[in-house]
Amino acid sequence: MGRGEGRLKRALRPSLATPGLLGLPIGWLAVFFLAPIGIVAAYSFNALALPPSTPGFTLSAWHAFLHSSVYLGLFWKSVEMSLIVSALVVVVAFPLAYYLALSGAKRKYVLLLVLIAPFLTSYLLRVLAWKVILGNQGVINTFLVWIGLQAHGHALSFLLYSRFAVMLVLGYVWLPFVALPIFVTLESLDRGLLEAASDLYASRAQAFLRVTLPLSLPGVFAAFLFVFIPTVGEFVTPSLVGGTSGYMYGNQIVDLFETGFPDWETGATLSLFLIGVIAVLTLVFVRFLRAGEARAA
Amino acid sequence: MDVALSTNGRRVMRVFFALVLLFLYAPIAILVVFSFNKASVPTFPLSGFTLHWYHEFLTNSDMQAALETSAIVAAISSAVAVALGILASIGLSRSRFRGRGLVTTLVLVPLVVPLIVLGISLLLLFHQLGIQLSILTIVIGHVVISLPYTVLVLMPRLERIDTSLAEAAYDLGAGPLTTFGRVTLPLILPAVVSAFLIAFTTSFDEYAVASFLAGSRQTFPIFLYSALRFPSQLPQVIAVAVVVLSLTILVIVGVEVWQRRAEARLEAA
Repeated sequence: MGRGEGRLKRALRPSLATPGLLGLPIGWLAVFFLAPIGIVAAYSFNALALPPSTPGFTLSAWHAFLHSSVYLGLFWKSVEMSLIVSALVVVVAFPLAYYLALSGAKRKYVLLLVLIAPFLTSYLLRVLAWKVILGNQGVINTFLVWIGLQAHGHALSFLLYSRFAVMLVLGYVWLPFVALPIFVTLESLDRGLLEAASDLYASRAQAFLRVTLPLSLPGVFAAFLFVFIPTVGEFVTPSLVGGTSGYMYGNQIVDLFETGFPDWETGATLSLFLIGVIAVLTLVFVRFLRAGEARAA
Repeated sequence: MDVALSTNGRRVMRVFFALVLLFLYAPIAILVVFSFNKASVPTFPLSGFTLHWYHEFLTNSDMQAALETSAIVAAISSAVAVALGILASIGLSRSRFRGRGLVTTLVLVPLVVPLIVLGISLLLLFHQLGIQLSILTIVIGHVVISLPYTVLVLMPRLERIDTSLAEAAYDLGAGPLTTFGRVTLPLILPAVVSAFLIAFTTSFDEYAVASFLAGSRQTFPIFLYSALRFPSQLPQVIAVAVVVLSLTILVIVGVEVWQRRAEARLEAA
């Protein structure tokens, strides 16, 4: 085969191959990801409706939602809970990642795997563990009675079925995962920069505040978002350990779809609002990353 | 001097690290302890050693049916997700075309959509199309969840492969399928295996989306969720929990070790 023919084949290949390769995955996501979200939007504007109501475009569900103290109140409550959880988890995970990535700890990858392993095990089972620990008849309360620190029948009832329980369990579930993005950023940090700072008589604290911290911010924000996004729409943990005071926005969405009197129009509006908020947050984050890259270049 | 941490700082960090590990593993250890406890409620003081709960679970047919359903759903959905992931990753890594950024975004964006919204939107789609909920509808949902993960695992590996190898195969007259089967696939095999395992474990453990899309056959997480609401089943569920946790940890560590070796071999070759 001549060289020219090979080059010709090479030139033709991508244009022929790419649509064939990408067609299936794009098609799958168009049908099972984009179209369904379009249908959610259609329900929220009443372009589609559950019988007996008749479909017809209206903004009434959005109007009701934006003027409802119940739904917006729940939304802000969920935002507050998951902001606190994400912030705490990042604050705890940062020093761990810093220690593993920069202090030259022996076997740092093994330690990292030990730290992350709980995240790779079943979510529900980790929630179950806390139910067993926190309940009125649970490990903590019966242990306190057993060693005589607590009288019978005076269980610490705030432990389970409370906002506290939801936040504790969410923090527990997400903590191992958060260390990963922070570790990756710190690991890829040019150690020469730290040495340069030290050569220029920067103290450790100065080197940390002026070099390490600013350079690790993309990883920190990524970690924060990775926790905030799934927890703000969470409904599984609050329904297992939250009781009425731990009820979140996600539980409200589920109840609008799955109770005896479903209200799909409102449920779809709440869902679409949630995606909208998350889309804005993600876009802001991507902008921030791009700006950082542009500055670095 | 070490620029990152002083000697004292390092000591403090070591203690802090140990405390966090204690916080992470103590609840799991407590589950293990109570899975061997005689009493039918998990309370102190411990009341004696038993294997009763493990025996119970081995004879609980509902639980076994749920485990089987989850295994089927996880196997099919991860196979489909990996296949689609391979197509997408090759398509995206081999060529630069207009709209590449858009396609990459589309493939990765399910990662940031809350599961509750994915579940509900698919429920509405199937309702609209008049499709009955079944194992198949869960599989479809799980493919959407896993696809981005498979791409995230496969893309970096594909981008590190020397493209001249595939080009040499083409020049020697191999068709696209032969080139993929004989050159590309063996080179990305470790990544394919980990993509499959990530997709499999994600699906096996997934509750939120499955809870909206399940028909009459429940998956294992759905079974667990309902069992968590009936305290009488608790000890058995704890025993299963211990079995499942140990198996996952074993698989994770095994794969990690295997992957390291395989990658090292490929890098050396």
